[in-house]
Amino acid sequence: MSKPLPKPLRYALQGIAYAALAAVIGYFSTAPVYRQLGDNEAVLKLSFSHSGQLKFACRERDAAELAKLQPNMRSKMDCPRERALVRVELDMDGQPLYRVSTPPLGLQKDGAATVYRRLTIPAGAHHFSARLADGPDGAINFSKDIRVDLKPGQVIIVDFLTGSGGFVFTRG
Amino acid sequence: MTSTASTSPSLGQRAFLALEKIFNRFFGEHLNPLYFLGAVAYFLLWIVIFTGLYLYAFFETSVVQAHASVDALTHGQRFVGGILRSLHRYASDGLVLVIALHMLRHFAFNRHRGFRWFSWVSGVVILWLTYASGINGYMLPWDRLSQFVVTATAEWFDVLPVLGGSMARNFISNANVSDRLFSLLSFIHIGLPLGVMTVLWIHTQRVPGARTNPPRPLALGLLASLTALSLLKPALSQAPADMATMVATLDFDWFYLPTYALIQQWGPANTWFLVLGATALLLILPWLPQRAASRPKSWSLALHPDERIIAVRAGETLLDAGLREGLPLPFECRNGGCGACKCTLLHGEVALLPYQASALSESERAAGKTLLCCAQALSDVEIDYVPQAGAKAHPAKRYVARVTQLELLSPDVMRVFLQIDGGATLPFHPGQYINIVLADGAKRSFSFATTPDTGGDIELHVRRVEGGRFTSAVFHSMRVGDTLRFEGPLGAFMLREDGDKSIIFVAGSTGFAPIKSMLEHAFHTGMQRRMILYWGVRSRCDLYLADLAQQWAREHANFSFVPVLSAPLSEDRWSGRTGLVHEAILADFPDLATHQVYACGSVQMVQAAQPAFAQHGLASDDCFSDAFHLAPQRAPRGNNAEMVQLGGTHV
Repeated sequence: MSKPLPKPLRYALQGIAYAALAAVIGYFSTAPVYRQLGDNEAVLKLSFSHSGQLKFACRERDAAELAKLQPNMRSKMDCPRERALVRVELDMDGQPLYRVSTPPLGLQKDGAATVYRRLTIPAGAHHFSARLADGPDGAINFSKDIRVDLKPGQVIIVDFLTGSGGFVFTRG
Repeated sequence: MTSTASTSPSLGQRAFLALEKIFNRFFGEHLNPLYFLGAVAYFLLWIVIFTGLYLYAFFETSVVQAHASVDALTHGQRFVGGILRSLHRYASDGLVLVIALHMLRHFAFNRHRGFRWFSWVSGVVILWLTYASGINGYMLPWDRLSQFVVTATAEWFDVLPVLGGSMARNFISNANVSDRLFSLLSFIHIGLPLGVMTVLWIHTQRVPGARTNPPRPLALGLLASLTALSLLKPALSQAPADMATMVATLDFDWFYLPTYALIQQWGPANTWFLVLGATALLLILPWLPQRAASRPKSWSLALHPDERIIAVRAGETLLDAGLREGLPLPFECRNGGCGACKCTLLHGEVALLPYQASALSESERAAGKTLLCCAQALSDVEIDYVPQAGAKAHPAKRYVARVTQLELLSPDVMRVFLQIDGGATLPFHPGQYINIVLADGAKRSFSFATTPDTGGDIELHVRRVEGGRFTSAVFHSMRVGDTLRFEGPLGAFMLREDGDKSIIFVAGSTGFAPIKSMLEHAFHTGMQRRMILYWGVRSRCDLYLADLAQQWAREHANFSFVPVLSAPLSEDRWSGRTGLVHEAILADFPDLATHQVYACGSVQMVQAAQPAFAQHGLASDDCFSDAFHLAPQRAPRGNNAEMVQLGGTHV
């Protein structure tokens, strides 16, 4: 068994141990810094929630089909709820930046298609071209071109609002 | 036979032992923080909760005011709010650190398996709830770090199929963030810590004798060091959150947020796999296979001065087993550092988990000392210890029983059958006894006379003692249907089933009762060891169940019965052995080195027999008797002397 240390030395060593604990907690509670973005980088957030067009057109039920249905379900028109998937193409300076095809949400696939994507891009002036297809045939039916100058750290949001005519680019 | 084996420490154990050794030099064994990690976690949680209550009183739950209110608290009341905010953060960081160390230590010392699975699993839950609380807390000041944390959290959850991108949309611009978010975050920041406290309480309830407060000097030292840190480096907010921009770098809390760095580097889906995989691994750790050699079993632990026998669960230390039963075992560090839990190993084999050499010297080990907190039973074990000063032992369980049958076996011996109220069966070890509690609280001890294996009523053999209050009542006024109060089971006298030596049972008078219990148990379990019963009484009529013993001898080839009368009457027409029972044994077995002896009877009988047996080669480890507990092996300790009287010889 080793000889006990003199009391003053023990207290000093305890103080050092407490100080070491405080130093570890104090340091790692704020450091090292976390770099989430380069010094000359900006951010593009593509985010929208949009319902595609109905995938199938309504049709009229014939008498035999109606007879098979419960009396309270005998609607003359059969309108399937399923919607088409939404396809988005986003180019930056003539180069493809992001492509996505998003199915509608919901068990019946009748909900909105939701897209969220955060992209890091170089800061500076850029030409963006956005296209969207939401019909059953997959043809592009919305597009927008825009030139934006982004400062480092700046966020540009690319939204899609049918009421506003399609793509909306908002500088943060 | 006593034996203490040491387990060779693993790498993790060696690391902890080395660190603890250094800390023992600094703090002493009684204040070593590594021995109080669970209690320190509690203490830090209390700091977090009390400082949090103060901060909450000044926090504004709105987009515009959240950052400003925290800043005002930090700078406007520098020496109250500022310090408390810093303490809140640093104690939270310390909490994660201490919980992780606590779990790592238990893992390193293999204290997460078997019955400890619940504590381990609840510990994992506490760890994640603590993480969730801390991460949630970083959302509240609504600074750049809050912006990062809410965005990353939303992006992380959005990868789940149900959400599919809708959550992060709430944070894409400043316009999307409303005051209601802060009400929600505050609500969560109260709910999650409440969850931590609830699970922590459950976690602690499962640990016998768990300490929830560290020693005061240690608590003060921790509080002082965190306060000094708060003064030197106050916890500050970063710039206010602004969804329109992202800063390149963040002052990052690496205690709480490393997962968030991974979300950015690996992507949300991969981080989910990692976190869920790590959680699943942590949760199944207690059940992962281990080496067969180290797989523990359950054993019995007989304790003096409690005169109790308790079960030791597989992998449980003797200390935990005793504390679980409410016994006043001495302890402090519980980690083999301080030596406060030292005891004497009287019988059996234990394996010692790694401990500090200063806690138990080689010479102490050689003298039969062991550490309760590190000793795991490798056989049935018997120990003697000095109870913790001032600690109150839980009394033995008390029962009310009804007399179901009275049978006069001889003019002086009554067989009494008892049934516990409600029909419950009482688990006990063959050789143990109960105390009948009289109306004035006085107690009378009687051994169980049946094997516990078959259940049924409790059987006692009560010998008439002239002038005895209880025994007189049994013979004169007791009727079937009467009720009795008793406590038990008690006594550390039990059959050791782990040896292979021949057994000589020595019964004196109603000392036959516990021997009958042991023999019936041995027959029930099919014990194949050679067993000889010597029953010593005065005259033939005292051999009140001789027919039963003779029947055993006919039915079991490995058993024989030798009755010995010390004062046969002429009408006995006795042609068998006469004299003192121990002399008859010595005549038959001049060398007792290969035998075990179980003796029950009057103190005089065993006091005469024990030295004579020892002179004929009987090892002290092979001699078992309750009467020996009175003398000469151990001196009687006050009232305990009454408790070890056997066979109904006490009045």
